[in-house]
Amino acid sequence: MMLEIIRWVGYGTIAYFAVMQAYLIFLAVVSGTVLRRNHHMSRFGRVSEMLSSNMAPPVSIVIPAYNEAMGIVESVRSMSIVGYPRFEMVVVNDGSTDETLERLIEAFELERVQIPYRPDLETAPIRGIYRGRGTVDITVIDKENAGRADALNAGINVARYPYALCTDADVILDAGCLVNAMQRIVEDREHVVAVGGNIRPLNGSTVELGHLVKASVPKKLVPRMQVLEYVRTFLASRPAWARMGALPLISGAFGVWKRSAVLAVGGFTSGHMGEDMDLTMRMHRYHIDNEIPYRIVYEGAAVIWTEVPENLRVLRRQRIRWHRGLMMAVRDFMPMTFNPRYGSVGMVTWAGMFLFEYLAPIIEFIGWFVVPIAWAVGALDTTAMVMLLAIAFGMGLMNSLVALMLDESYGYFNSAADTSRLVTMAMIENFGFRQITVFWRIRALFGGRKVQGWGNMERRGVANLGARGA
Amino acid sequence: MSRTLRILVADDAETITTLLMTSLELKGYEVVTARNGIEAHEFGMNEEFDLVILDQLMPGLSGLEVIRKWHDEGIDVPVIMLSGVDDEKTVVDSLDLGAVDFVRKPFRLPELMARIRQRLRTVESDGTEQQADDKNGSAGR
Amino acid sequence: MEANQTAVLIVLIVITIDAVLLASLIILKGIHRRRMLGHEKRRAGYMTLLAHHLTYPDSTEPIGRKTAEDPAFLDAVIDLRNAVAGPEIDTLARIIGRYGMAGAQARRLRSRFPLGRRLRAAVALAEMGDESSAESLMEFLGDREPEVRIQCARGLGRMRWTPAIDAIVDRFNVETPWVRSRFTSTLVGFGPKATWPLIAYIRVNHRFESAGPSAAIRALGVIGDTQAGPPLIEILEEAKDPEIQIAAIEALGAVGGPLALKTLIREFDSDDWRLRAKAATAIGDIGDPLAIPTLAAGLEDTDWWVRRNSAAALTRLPGGQWALYDALASKDRYAQDAAAEALADAGELIAARSREKSGTATARDQALLSHMTPEYSMTGS
Repeated sequence: MMLEIIRWVGYGTIAYFAVMQAYLIFLAVVSGTVLRRNHHMSRFGRVSEMLSSNMAPPVSIVIPAYNEAMGIVESVRSMSIVGYPRFEMVVVNDGSTDETLERLIEAFELERVQIPYRPDLETAPIRGIYRGRGTVDITVIDKENAGRADALNAGINVARYPYALCTDADVILDAGCLVNAMQRIVEDREHVVAVGGNIRPLNGSTVELGHLVKASVPKKLVPRMQVLEYVRTFLASRPAWARMGALPLISGAFGVWKRSAVLAVGGFTSGHMGEDMDLTMRMHRYHIDNEIPYRIVYEGAAVIWTEVPENLRVLRRQRIRWHRGLMMAVRDFMPMTFNPRYGSVGMVTWAGMFLFEYLAPIIEFIGWFVVPIAWAVGALDTTAMVMLLAIAFGMGLMNSLVALMLDESYGYFNSAADTSRLVTMAMIENFGFRQITVFWRIRALFGGRKVQGWGNMERRGVANLGARGA
Repeated sequence: MSRTLRILVADDAETITTLLMTSLELKGYEVVTARNGIEAHEFGMNEEFDLVILDQLMPGLSGLEVIRKWHDEGIDVPVIMLSGVDDEKTVVDSLDLGAVDFVRKPFRLPELMARIRQRLRTVESDGTEQQADDKNGSAGR
Repeated sequence: MEANQTAVLIVLIVITIDAVLLASLIILKGIHRRRMLGHEKRRAGYMTLLAHHLTYPDSTEPIGRKTAEDPAFLDAVIDLRNAVAGPEIDTLARIIGRYGMAGAQARRLRSRFPLGRRLRAAVALAEMGDESSAESLMEFLGDREPEVRIQCARGLGRMRWTPAIDAIVDRFNVETPWVRSRFTSTLVGFGPKATWPLIAYIRVNHRFESAGPSAAIRALGVIGDTQAGPPLIEILEEAKDPEIQIAAIEALGAVGGPLALKTLIREFDSDDWRLRAKAATAIGDIGDPLAIPTLAAGLEDTDWWVRRNSAAALTRLPGGQWALYDALASKDRYAQDAAAEALADAGELIAARSREKSGTATARDQALLSHMTPEYSMTGS
């Protein structure tokens, strides 16, 4: 009897893996068609002539910052020459305990000003607002510490323009990212409420003066794995999700939001660990519930670079925090899951999130740990075991390779070393790395210490990253 | 005085640097190129130039910031600033700091060359006057 | 056993697909890399060659036929064409003509597939801006593919091919809003020649639609032909749709002139805050000091944008800043704030500070300083 149960569990796991990989391949194929179409226009790669200053809506770039003294000035400065006709920068100092504010004041000749703070969104108390009088249009908000979501809300409150690009302090913006993102908005101003961008890990690449000089794949395994992960999701999943009109997540590192829409749904949720996913899903829910036609899109050409955890310790904190955020979101949006009322969001992408992201650790845990034991005790025959391995490794590798091929159109990672590193990573990923992340996420699901606040990245500062490469 | 005149061309667009470098070298000038603001600033600090052609929008330091830094460090060299930016404030600020000429992009090559020649003529004539003074003693002419 | 066979089959299929994908990836990378490297190197060389020709237009430096057919060469030509203005363009046009580069791209445009090649050809033709391609571009204004249509319109605009204006405006009614708005921005390239066709279109359509006519109105503002002023004033007075009104107000700031002032001042009474805010900016654009009292009243408007735009506009009118200094003493806290911020943005705060340091601060300076920095005390530094 016991054996019977184990066998069914085993087959169930195999079926789960098969469905998951098939889903990913389906997404990859759809993403391929989407990217191919857009790639035609990137041939000349110039700033589109249509975004001359009268057609391009002005944008507020909102940058929440906590203890970023080491790189904040460099970062803001390099962001300030992003190619876009009209924009302002709003940096929010979320009660840093280091010299973030002081460095900003000194570098940009900031002066404290008395302008009324309009709390369209509720936030923690503001300590002061500073304006720069130099060539960079920059406003800095100093406030009490209350987390990233709260800081973003404060930034949005002060933002003057109808669109807000929410990003992070340790991000390097590609020169054309804002133009490319805003192009999607200008195409359909009435309906587009948000645009997500394409995030690439910076580790291992050559950076000079806050700008990317050469993209390379890191030698170290931990960041390398993440390069592969990011390529898979941003090239082989998100374009497809957006094409279905059901993008469930716009990453915090790059999201252009229509300010009025953000206010309508009440801004970012303070204290949430996955505030970016939460806001995106609330946008879907709000517009569908109120029958307001809308679109949330993804722009693959809006590329930005950011530092990802270099070692397992920091990575673990990040993954636990992400999964906690996902847990909160799953709980909040349970009514939407598999609910036909919410169209592709409810039935496909959020369902996919629930099944293949949220439940994945549990089922994968069974797959990696229980199934081999079952086979060893004879409950599961060799055939099943082999099938599981083939599907898990083989199809997983398929997805990675397809994603890498889709990545070709971008032209990064040109050397033989880069390619071989990525391919080797794709092959060994399932021999340990994936299992570790499963383990961490199980931990997140079933308790463990709360990982609060910003999650200290232990950053070296984007400015100090890899002239040598990692 | 017929030493070769040295020009620094700083622009992050390769098209512009190649175009200007080729044209100027064909006309007999010695050209050094910089690809960003920081490189430009360093070249200006460590080497002598008779003229600098500076792009306003560059990675690292903007053209305006480069001029400002040179100004603070006492480096005085004629500058022609190139800009695609429609920014009145930048024009005024840079003229204040002594940028000699302000040229909008896209530029007319012959016109730019003419302005360069004119600027360098001033430099050259200043040089010859100085030589004449030295020869005749500093009591003036 | 059957189950075993299925399993083996599945495994084999998976392994084969993986192997094929891996091989494709490696081959793709290899091809791409070689092509790109070659392209970059040749392009740099062509850039130097072309620079030579631009410096010495009569140069006899040879450009071979193979060179002319190289996409890297086309790239270089287009880059240069966008970087320079004036007689160099003629030199480039001569090169384009001598080697039939425009004709080659037109032939590619004519082929039915693949889409990528056609698009690149359309973009290349638009960027080259060579008159010999005008006919082809006109032909493909009605192409199936929207981006091709747009690039054709763009190219015709860049070369100011007047017969195209009517053809483009005619398409307004059949295009989607997005394509239409890009068409209108290409019309800007034609300059004042497009003024009357645009006005005719607006007059007919503004009662039925808002996206197309408002894009057309904005284009008029960018073209900057003052002849468009009186018709726009009429349209503003007739229009009920706020999108059209907003666009008209904006455009009148650019082309309306003092004639438009009366109508714009009337917009200050509108219930819609957007119209009031836009009117404030447009009045600032026109720059007539007669409007100062109206803008000063705008400082006490209930809407933040109206206050802000009125204050900013006042800094652009001769004598306007005195009204701002007066507003610092207003009873309305928000009017004070708007005035102070506009004065600071205009550089008055820095000037006041330096006057204060040198002991020559006026009463107005002190009013501004005490407003902006609550810690400032009047008793001294």
